[in-house]
Amino acid sequence: MDNPRFSLEEFKALLPDRFESQEKLLSEYQSFLMLLEQLDRLDVPTLSDRDKAEIFRRSWQGRSRSWRPAWPWLGWLRQPAVTFATGIVLGCVLMFAVARSRAAAPQPTSPQQALAVERTSYTQIYTGKVVERLYPQIENPKIVVERPRESSKPQRVLYGTLDEGETYVVWNL
Amino acid sequence: MNGHDWTSDKALIEAIQRGDRDAAACLYHRHIDRVHRICHRIVLDPSLTLDCVQEVWLKVFRSVGRFRCQRSVAAWLNAVAANTAIDYYRRSRRQSNRVDIDDPQVESLVADEEAEDVQPVDGPLMQQRICEALEEISVSQRTAFVLRYYEDMPLPEIAGILGCREGTVRTHIRRCLLALRAKLLTKLNQ
Repeated sequence: MDNPRFSLEEFKALLPDRFESQEKLLSEYQSFLMLLEQLDRLDVPTLSDRDKAEIFRRSWQGRSRSWRPAWPWLGWLRQPAVTFATGIVLGCVLMFAVARSRAAAPQPTSPQQALAVERTSYTQIYTGKVVERLYPQIENPKIVVERPRESSKPQRVLYGTLDEGETYVVWNL
Repeated sequence: MNGHDWTSDKALIEAIQRGDRDAAACLYHRHIDRVHRICHRIVLDPSLTLDCVQEVWLKVFRSVGRFRCQRSVAAWLNAVAANTAIDYYRRSRRQSNRVDIDDPQVESLVADEEAEDVQPVDGPLMQQRICEALEEISVSQRTAFVLRYYEDMPLPEIAGILGCREGTVRTHIRRCLLALRAKLLTKLNQ
C-alpha cells in the first residue's frame, strides 16, 4: 500500500486534518497514488544523440563570451564575501585619499574670515571682519599696503565705498 | 566516452574550471537527460524545450567558475535547470499573452470534491489530457511537484530553488496534487 515515492506519512503531512476516518484517509491516499501513476504515463521525448551533440557544441562555444578559463583564479574574486571586503577596502582607500587631498588644498578666501591677506610681489591687501570693525562706516573696506621698492617706505591706502556704493573712498593712512 | 568516465562530478567541475573540454563533455552527458526531463516537465512545450536545455548548459558553463563545492553538482544543475525553465515558461506565456495564474482558491475549489479513482486511459489522448492538466497548474506549483516527485529532491532544496519557505513548497505541492486530481477527473470523464 505504502509507496516509497509518496509515502503515507508525507501524504498526511501534506493534507493534515482533512479526513474524518482512517478509511477515508487510506482511500484518498490510494486515489493520489493512482494520480501519480497516471502522471507517470506522460512521456518525455528522448533527446537524440545529434541534438545532444549540437546543444553541447553551442553551449561550450558560447561560454567563452563571459568566462575566461585562462584565469580561473579570478573566480575567487567573485565570491560575495571577497567582493564585499574588496569594496570596503577600496572605499576606505578612496575616502582617505579624498580627505588627504582636501587637507592639502589651500583654503579659499572667505568673506566671513576675520582677516584675509592677498599677497603679490609689491602689495598686500587686507580684508575681512577685522578691517570692517576698524572702519565701520566704510562699505567693503580693504587696506592695500604697497611698497614699490624694497628700500622705500610702505604706503597704506584704505579703499571702500559710502552711501551704498554712491561714493568711492580712497584714504591714505 | 573519454578518460573522465569515472571521475567525480566535483573533479570534473574543477577540470572544467581549468578549461578542459572533455571534462565538460563528460559532465554534460552524465546529466543531460535529467536536465532535459526537468525542462520538459516545466516548460511543457517540446518546441521550446531544446532551446531551454541549451540555455541551461550555457549558464552552467558560464558560471562554472563560481561553483562552490559546498553543494552537490546535481543539486546545482537541478536548480539552474528549474529556474531557467521557469523563466522560459513565463517568457513564452508573456509572448503568447497568456497569464500564469497562481490561484490560491484552487485548493478550496477542489477540496470539496469527492475523492474518486482516476480511471486509467491509455494512448495519446491520455498524454494530451495530462499535459493540459499540468499546463493549467501554476508554474511554481508544477516545479515544486516535478522536483519532489520526479526528481526526488528534498523540500529544503526545492525551497532554495524557488526562493521560498519549506511550508510554501508544501502548499505548492498540495495545491498541485489537488488541482491535478480535479482537472484529470474532469478531463478523463469528458
